[in-house]
Amino acid sequence: MADAEIRKEAAGEKAPLLQVDHLKTHFDVTKGLFSPKQIVKAVDDVSFYVGEGETYGLVGESGCGKSTLGRTLVKIYPATGGKILYKGQDIARLGKEEEKHFRKEVQMIFQDPYASLNPRMTVGEIIKEPMEIHGILDSSKDREDRAAELLKTVGLKPDHIRRYPHEFSGGQRQRISIARTLALNPRFIICDEPISALDVSIQAQIINLLKEIQNELGISYLFVAHDLSMVNYISHRIGVMYLGHLVEEGPADQVYEHPIHPYTKALLSAIPIPDPDVAKSRSRIKLEGELPTPINPPAGCPFKGRCPMATEECGKSRPEMRDFGGHKAACFYAEAGK
Amino acid sequence: MALLDVKNLCVDFHTDQGTVHAVRDISFSVGESEAVGIVGESGSGKSVTMYSVMGLLAGNGSITGGSVSLNGQEITESAFPDHKAYEAAMDQIRGNQMAMIFQDPMTFLNPVVKIGKQITEVIKNHQKVTDAEARARAIELMGQVGIPSPEKRLNQYPHEFSGGMRQRIIIAIALANNPKLIIADEPTTALDVTIQAQVLDLIRDMKEKMNSSVIMITHDLGVVASLCDRILIMYGGKIVESGSDREIFYDPKHPYTRGLLQCVHNPEKKEKLKPIAGSPPDLLKPPAGCPFVDRCPEAMKVCKLYMPEVTTYSATHQCACWLEEANRRKGENHG
Repeated sequence: MADAEIRKEAAGEKAPLLQVDHLKTHFDVTKGLFSPKQIVKAVDDVSFYVGEGETYGLVGESGCGKSTLGRTLVKIYPATGGKILYKGQDIARLGKEEEKHFRKEVQMIFQDPYASLNPRMTVGEIIKEPMEIHGILDSSKDREDRAAELLKTVGLKPDHIRRYPHEFSGGQRQRISIARTLALNPRFIICDEPISALDVSIQAQIINLLKEIQNELGISYLFVAHDLSMVNYISHRIGVMYLGHLVEEGPADQVYEHPIHPYTKALLSAIPIPDPDVAKSRSRIKLEGELPTPINPPAGCPFKGRCPMATEECGKSRPEMRDFGGHKAACFYAEAGK
Repeated sequence: MALLDVKNLCVDFHTDQGTVHAVRDISFSVGESEAVGIVGESGSGKSVTMYSVMGLLAGNGSITGGSVSLNGQEITESAFPDHKAYEAAMDQIRGNQMAMIFQDPMTFLNPVVKIGKQITEVIKNHQKVTDAEARARAIELMGQVGIPSPEKRLNQYPHEFSGGMRQRIIIAIALANNPKLIIADEPTTALDVTIQAQVLDLIRDMKEKMNSSVIMITHDLGVVASLCDRILIMYGGKIVESGSDREIFYDPKHPYTRGLLQCVHNPEKKEKLKPIAGSPPDLLKPPAGCPFVDRCPEAMKVCKLYMPEVTTYSATHQCACWLEEANRRKGENHG
């Protein structure tokens, strides 16, 4: 979709494809009947939207809740609070038919291409299964043809259809996963770290394939990853998560080139740069310590324990998202354009 | 004299499907207090090379040719009268003169043994010290690698530590006997970016403090750029190019090296990613010619048939590619 239309959506002129409103996904991990309640706040009060034909990149370290968020969106986990609107409809209140339609239109690509394909099914069976479940195409022959066509779309050969997953490399398996999700003509695909298990030379192949598919079919992506440079490459907008909260959000280039939140700044400066002169001379923002546990997190800013700028105020209340002209950050000391 | 000298090393694995020629005739050396990066994709033979240097090959793997010497002493099994003598010698060398940092900190540490014991064990294996001295050294090491309140954490089990902290413990164990050579096998692949940056800083600091050499095995060009003086690029069990960091990054000769550099996103430059098409060769049936021929955009007839000659550009920069030979001949014809 054209950039102009995305801008229209951002301006609220058109309803976004997916709208997430103060979403919470909490898990009760209390051990024993009389022990104090222990709640993992994996996703806590997160709001964002994804437009038609847009890629929204979600980054953060492991344990920040980005995968849980992705899984909540496809109803693998139930939301504890807040709302998820798909095409304006609350996905928690769908009727039976609507639910089936939702599950057809919203698909997921998983991280590990070794675990997400059934080793006992042929590639053809893997791709045809979702079509059979959703009653797409009438005859088995048509589905077979469609599966062969999809294999071509993702850059494999149609005669691979009778092979088994173990005959393929990691990158090729990820292509099969993509073909499987495309079988249902989805509108929205959640890509949960689809490249982090692959070799560098293969990562670029998959990223470019996802981009081509988007250009051709206008599918929206939620691209979950911990690798900010790849996310910047594929996304239109980026959201940065820390300890269950969205701490910064904005157009990809702005977040990448002019980060506002101190966490985003640190995350960016930690990326190893493939250029020895730059890598050996640049100064990095060093973060002490690691991501704290999300079990009963303390009040205040989630990042305060590792933040180089933290003051007393950060411990008192949680900073709200503030808007700096389409680029938002949740920090008391955030200033735009720095 | 180089600290580590690997000459014409060949390693095979025997599997049900046949023999995998994982490392095919590679030679390189590592000097004193030098940091060398070995870059390659999975299956390129980079880890297998270092496992054979350490004498840690899996049961179905064996060194079928070549030699490895450390400090002038040959440490390939064929140089010893029998297996027992070899193992006895390697026990003295491993963890003492050279040590390895592994990729996955959880599988390396014994989950049912306290951290303190796992560190002191290595010290006591190689040094004549009392329990109290070993303990004091363990506390010192844990402090050095940045583990807070080491006296307390000595008595904890691996599961009580986070991934980054476990990797620090592994580094502490590797450093316990001040090894001359530290081999790090993708030490940061399992870690998050911010933790990766911390661990790389730690390895760099430790290398400088102890004046040891480091071999960094990785698939991430960003990691070697910040740490290594010299880089070897491996593909299909061969070293296809080697050079100083600046030679590899700013003047890459081999099409694979160039391809590799184009498919990492450099945030400093705005360029479309150009992936390398296809996938690595099957080392059950290694190609007769250049291993990269099937994916190479510039492949010629000769590439399929014969392994390319090595061209030397400088004291450090070498590359095995027929293109250079072709260019040279073109020049001669014109001249």
